[in-house]
Amino acid sequence: MNRTSAAKQNKVALALLLLVVIMAGILLSVPAYRFTSTVYSQKSPNTFVGDEKYLAVKAEVETLADEYRTQGMEVTVDESVTERTNSKGEKTSLVAFTISEKFTKNGWSFLTAGINSSCALAAILICLLGALACAALGCRGSLDTTYKFLDSGSARLRNASCWLLLIAILLVPVFFMMSTYTLSRRVGLYTAGIVTEGKEALFQTLDKFLFAGMAGENVDVALKNLKFSNTGVLWALLPVAFVGLVAAIQLRFGTVKHTLLRGLLYAFVIGMCLFILYPYYVMLITAFRTNAETNDMYFQHLFPTEWKWENLSHIVSRGVPRYLLNSAMIAGGATLIALICGIPAAYAMSRMKFKGKKIFLGFVIMSQMFSPVVLLIGISQLMSTLHLNDNILGLMLINAAFNQAFAIWLLRGTFVAISPEMEQAARIDGCSVLGSLWHVLLPMAAPGIVTTLIFVFINAWNEYTISTVLISTASNRPITVGITQFSSFNMIEWQYLFAASLLATIPVVIMFMFIEKHLTSGLTAGGVKG
Amino acid sequence: MNNRLGQKIEPYVWLLPSLILMAIFVVFPICIVFRIAFSEVSKSGLVGGFVGFKNFADAISLPAFKTVMLNTLYWVVSVVVLSTVIGFIVAMVLNQDFKGRKIARAIVVFPWATSLVIQASVWNYIIKYEYGNLNNILLNLGIIKEAINWRSSYQIEFIWECGVGIFVTIPFVTFCVLSGLQSIDKSLYEAAEIDGASFWDRLFNITIPLVKPSLTVATVLNIIYVFNSFPIIYTMTKGAPANKTDTLVTFLYMLNFYDRKKGPATALSVIGFLVLCLCSGIYMLGVMRKEED
Repeated sequence: MNRTSAAKQNKVALALLLLVVIMAGILLSVPAYRFTSTVYSQKSPNTFVGDEKYLAVKAEVETLADEYRTQGMEVTVDESVTERTNSKGEKTSLVAFTISEKFTKNGWSFLTAGINSSCALAAILICLLGALACAALGCRGSLDTTYKFLDSGSARLRNASCWLLLIAILLVPVFFMMSTYTLSRRVGLYTAGIVTEGKEALFQTLDKFLFAGMAGENVDVALKNLKFSNTGVLWALLPVAFVGLVAAIQLRFGTVKHTLLRGLLYAFVIGMCLFILYPYYVMLITAFRTNAETNDMYFQHLFPTEWKWENLSHIVSRGVPRYLLNSAMIAGGATLIALICGIPAAYAMSRMKFKGKKIFLGFVIMSQMFSPVVLLIGISQLMSTLHLNDNILGLMLINAAFNQAFAIWLLRGTFVAISPEMEQAARIDGCSVLGSLWHVLLPMAAPGIVTTLIFVFINAWNEYTISTVLISTASNRPITVGITQFSSFNMIEWQYLFAASLLATIPVVIMFMFIEKHLTSGLTAGGVKG
Repeated sequence: MNNRLGQKIEPYVWLLPSLILMAIFVVFPICIVFRIAFSEVSKSGLVGGFVGFKNFADAISLPAFKTVMLNTLYWVVSVVVLSTVIGFIVAMVLNQDFKGRKIARAIVVFPWATSLVIQASVWNYIIKYEYGNLNNILLNLGIIKEAINWRSSYQIEFIWECGVGIFVTIPFVTFCVLSGLQSIDKSLYEAAEIDGASFWDRLFNITIPLVKPSLTVATVLNIIYVFNSFPIIYTMTKGAPANKTDTLVTFLYMLNFYDRKKGPATALSVIGFLVLCLCSGIYMLGVMRKEED
């Protein structure tokens, strides 16, 4: 790229950044939030719509409204009629007149309001201006330099510009969150009298911001009746800042396409991770809420008002440790049985030739197909014949049997990958078959065995269906069944349900993360490649 | 002579523990289910003599039978197809080189490691109308002005159940595809790039054909897992209202353990079992053929 075209390209990018800042300024001047607040209300009892009393009150209210209008306020008069029958059996009406004021606030007034979201908005603006400034400074004296030959100072400044724009983009939703938080939740908590600390200061600020300080003593009532909605204009800051980001990337790296593709990749990965983690976040915060907070939208925000660690001690008193222990025993036992039966079978499959090997292989694959659920009725019948229903040992055996196929697959894949020469050498040295298996093969196959072990353990730990059918005594329940006691037909104690779920989830998720890198090779070795 | 006999028997001795375990706890229940399905079952649940296909006729004549079968079909097809497509895309992305790939892969595995009951309960809470977290976040962002009833009809509830099914199935597909992707020789792509092949050319002419074996296995296994999936539907709707959101597995559970209709329930088990046999038969043929190659 020659110098003139670089200069031209950089100039366009700079102009685009300037345009972004100007656009942001325009967006801030457009009404961002609509408010409706009640300024006056009067009731006229015992009237009929259209009679003298009604007309008198209506006229009175109308004159008052006109008075407000002359002050330059935009007000509307609403009336609501409640009909009722008095003691004489006559129908009368209760008519309530309200004068409500409609007004809008734009971004600039939010900026100067002095509430939480002002900070967010200010930060966005500072980021945009900062990005422009950084880009301009980064271009000084190097406007006609292509990105490859930038000196470190300019490169750093242009980098900073990119980062600032990225931060600005991320702050847009934060602004909306904070606005709703202040106007709805905090005001709600204060007017309902649930929290009092810091009320005065906030209400004074809001009075100044919303009513130009006119509400004074009535600010409580005014804020209680306040309705608000955003016009969505400030969301346009997102695409605007994004255009700026593209321009800044152009300045820094010369080509947009590669960087954007890379950015898209990261955006996809981050978005995906956030989406996957979302239910876990919900589980975590709900586990530490109070009962009132879990059941009422009004109280909810991103995090609990107060972290209730007592929830954990409560679930301990409701038998959760017992369930966890049962689960650990069932899963541990099942893993042990599955390995004790599976290792010899996998050994024979990988090291010996015999008739019926193919049939056994087919049988193993077939049984891999049957989840116990379809055979539920048969299993429950069998277990009651064996007197193993409502018994932890029964669950161990069932889980072991239904994970047998997978265990044999994974182990066979591991054994096949290890050359038999070492064992043969050990055998020549006088080792028995079992000895060579124990001292040579198993240590070498350890990673595969650990993967199998954890896999079976997790499957057994998470098993739910068979356990619900087989287990009837509370003290024998595994955790997956145990948590259902918190959700009865008419009431679900979400906070305890999720606190217990959290305890049940954390260990297996950590285990799974350990074997995750062996998982792909394990699946290939076992199920896929056969 | 004795030694030769020992050598002949030896492999079977090694297989014995595994065989016994599976014979008792896998094969035996299958036999029991088949026996009950063709026997007369009294109201108190006692199993009598052979009645032919009476239980099957009873099962098919149940009013909910058609709905349940259709639901099962929708459930399996939607979950398997969508999770395969999404899982494939996720695997393609995770196969790229980028910072934090290890963390991303660890996070993707989360839903796989979590019990389905727990996943279903959490989503159950998220989409609650009055106090669910989804409404809460959307309201806080100012994107919606009033809480939305996310489960206003049973069709929508069923769609949510499918969604949760997809969510928990994606990691399995992702990792199966990833194992296929990692075995592809990088030089193939380099050669294609030199020849000027576009992204789509490379996708359809290199990636998909080479991943196909792992993808096939993943899909067949998936069909079976999804077909058998019980906790999601049982936790979120219990099949309500009137079996409108039931699949075969939840329906037969309810039929047997709530309505005490053991005969039709086992008949349904047999039907489900045969469907699975068909799937595994196809799978087995594939694997066997590959063994021979």
